[in-house]
Amino acid sequence: MAEALFQISEPGASRVKHACRTRAVGIDLGTTNSLVAIVDGGRPICLTDDRDDALIPSVVHYAADGTVVVGAGARDLASQFPHDTIASVKRFMGRGPRDAEATRRLTPYLFAPAGPNEGMVRFSVTSGTRAVTPLEVSAEILKALRARAETALGGPLAGAVITVPAYFDDGQRQATRDAGRLAGIEVLRLLNEPTAAALAYGLDKQAEGTFAVFDLGGGTFDVSILKLDDGVFEVKSTGGDSALGGDDFDRAIAHAIIGRLGLGGEIDPRTVRRVLDAARALKEKLTTEGEAAIEIALADRTATIGLTRAEMDALVAPVLARCESAVRRALKDAGLDAAALSGVILVGGATRMPLVRQFVEKLFGKPPLADIDPDQVVALGAAVQADILAGGAGQGDVLLLDVVPLSLGLETMGGVVEKIIHRNTTVPCGATQTFTTYADKQTGFELQVLQGERELVADCRPLAKFSLRGIPPMPAGMARLEVTFTVDADGILRVKAREEITGQEAAIDVKPSYGLTDDEVERMLLDSFAHADEDVKARLLAEQRVEAQGIASAARLAMADAPELLTDADRVAIEAALAALARVEVGNDHHAIRAAVEEVDHASKEFAGRRMNRAIGSGLRGKDVAAVEAKADETASKRDLATRAGSHAGHSH
Amino acid sequence: MICWSCEREGGGGPFCGICQALLPPNDGADHFAVLGLPRRYDLDFSAAETAYQGLSRQLHPDRFATADPRARRASLGQTVQLNEAWRTLKDPVRRAEYLLELAGVEVASDDQKPGPGGERGTRKVAVPPAFLLEILEMHDDLGNAQRAGDAVKVAFLTEEMRGRADEAMKTIAAALDTGSTQAPDQGRLDEAARALIALRYYRRFLDEADAHEDARRTGRGVADG
Repeated sequence: MAEALFQISEPGASRVKHACRTRAVGIDLGTTNSLVAIVDGGRPICLTDDRDDALIPSVVHYAADGTVVVGAGARDLASQFPHDTIASVKRFMGRGPRDAEATRRLTPYLFAPAGPNEGMVRFSVTSGTRAVTPLEVSAEILKALRARAETALGGPLAGAVITVPAYFDDGQRQATRDAGRLAGIEVLRLLNEPTAAALAYGLDKQAEGTFAVFDLGGGTFDVSILKLDDGVFEVKSTGGDSALGGDDFDRAIAHAIIGRLGLGGEIDPRTVRRVLDAARALKEKLTTEGEAAIEIALADRTATIGLTRAEMDALVAPVLARCESAVRRALKDAGLDAAALSGVILVGGATRMPLVRQFVEKLFGKPPLADIDPDQVVALGAAVQADILAGGAGQGDVLLLDVVPLSLGLETMGGVVEKIIHRNTTVPCGATQTFTTYADKQTGFELQVLQGERELVADCRPLAKFSLRGIPPMPAGMARLEVTFTVDADGILRVKAREEITGQEAAIDVKPSYGLTDDEVERMLLDSFAHADEDVKARLLAEQRVEAQGIASAARLAMADAPELLTDADRVAIEAALAALARVEVGNDHHAIRAAVEEVDHASKEFAGRRMNRAIGSGLRGKDVAAVEAKADETASKRDLATRAGSHAGHSH
Repeated sequence: MICWSCEREGGGGPFCGICQALLPPNDGADHFAVLGLPRRYDLDFSAAETAYQGLSRQLHPDRFATADPRARRASLGQTVQLNEAWRTLKDPVRRAEYLLELAGVEVASDDQKPGPGGERGTRKVAVPPAFLLEILEMHDDLGNAQRAGDAVKVAFLTEEMRGRADEAMKTIAAALDTGSTQAPDQGRLDEAARALIALRYYRRFLDEADAHEDARRTGRGVADG
């Protein structure tokens, strides 16, 4: 009672209680540069180094002797040690090895083989003696920011608000949160970058009305429509592309440079790094000048590349054009015309380019606003929100109302996604839908939670799976499964499922498969101490071998038991997966074994499902299961589509 | 509701009438009651928005970030309820659907959960088959015009559909707006329900046309660049 009372009637009391409130900081963890800001005397300011520079380049260098260099020092080492110096790591956050494929053509990095279970790219550094995940690289940057803040504050941090692109999906958000944890930072909130920018802008300029925030950073593009009204910042809609940014301009320019230099085939990583650096330097020069030239040191010669702004604009225009449909959709979702906007706020270093400003002006029909340094505005807004969350009284009546960036739903029969919470719904929010069984005597539901706008499961991002069992056998359509999605103010999704007749319940806090458990964070911390992890590895290896033997024998037994349910394609895939497992099982890489186990599980899934369906539906009027499923597909209305039946055979995690 | 904090009867508001602690939401409250608005179709948008913002300021979890866990939970529940109420009422179509749902007329849409009470005691309203056939034909016409690259025809069809959607919106407003909080009679409810279903088809048509137009424009934008 007492505490709640103080919150409302005596703000002074909470001030005493939370004396360390100013120790909460805002962090902009950017693709190219990162910053940290605090609220000091009621105003947000960015913390700078001794040369008065607020930006820390988001570059991490892993030296052969095990030391880690972050920032400008690392950037200077990039062209000399292209494999060991990771830049633009944000693009890889929460991304699996396959996602990275697209950018692999023109990056200087080496990638360590990673299993599907890991779901994370790993960079191979220091001549392959060390593999680091994007999460660990980001944690190094965060540690540098934390050190800067703690020096300025003269003591430990109470917590931080870290910004993420509004269009980051759950996996990317979770990876960012985990990176914070790994850096020893309590993450108070992940805040969307355009929202942070609007917060800083609105407070500083006392702006009122409806604004668009056009945020083109190094690696991501976001657009948000917000209404600023008497201290309430309400996000109306948000959209974007989490893989589009200034980096892509660099890449487009670099491709042209490579063409002009006549470089073909395999290009060595050092040259790639130099060409990318040259492209970026040219782009920056051409922001203020009509033409520019730069020297590039190649293996055998030094070449000079000259470029005019018009030539560059022609190279980057196709990339920039990709922003247009996201802007249109955000306006449509907000129910607005561009003409109804009070203004357009520019955020992100790439918005310094004259071409980008012209593009924005044409798209919105008004000149954009860029009064606050587009590099700093996001960190400043994050500091304001950190101050609010830590109970600071400095921001008076300010309140942020943010939205869910991507729709959330469940897999239903036929691989279709039923959306439960729609994109651009204000958080916190919740919704309930009722599902039913599609098979007679179905005793369980397996629920797959998905994120994305597309209709088919295959086109959305899987977030989590869980199951509800112990439902008594009933005819199809009788069981009533009530599924409730809740997204809290931190954007964390909780899913609860309840069968109405039996009252069976199951619930999970959704963490994507590549989000880390506390154990895993601990293990990563362990891993970071050289040689301290041998025991851990040995244990993991032993566990994985047991797992491997279990699944291999289960799969062989199942294949012998029901050969008639096995298609040729299944048999080939399962045999191949088993062979791969047998190969790595004798090795010492537990990651590889785990990956191979996952592969077997994946390859045998459909077969196992068929076996289980047969076991469940053996009383089904003598029809085969495939036919029954097909019929259910045709006739069931969308709302009545049930989630997939029961468990599948084989091992469970 | 018995207050979790002072353990006395705290009254019906979001805050305990005695100790001012934030109480969990009243699940039985309808969306109009949550926002303190009269239960009617006609809405003073800016007054309603002001009410929403005011309640958000009082109830939002950010206000309780450092409070007692029970107050934080109450804040989450209250704000989820508030946001759902405002999401439903601020949009004229969802508002109309909700009023019909309250009146026991079923027009559940894709993005709406079945109403409380479910199938029992509701009346289903349908549109005539001839209407569906006509819509199908217009879809065909649109598809043909798009494939043929006939921009004039596409624009014409889209414009006609937009006109129909506007008409349906007017029909809904006229049928539901009784000028008071008194519920419309059966006939007006059915009229509104039919217009709502028709509107859903019109919107699907327009979304499809939009998506096609967007794809076309983006494709050209890239090629031009």
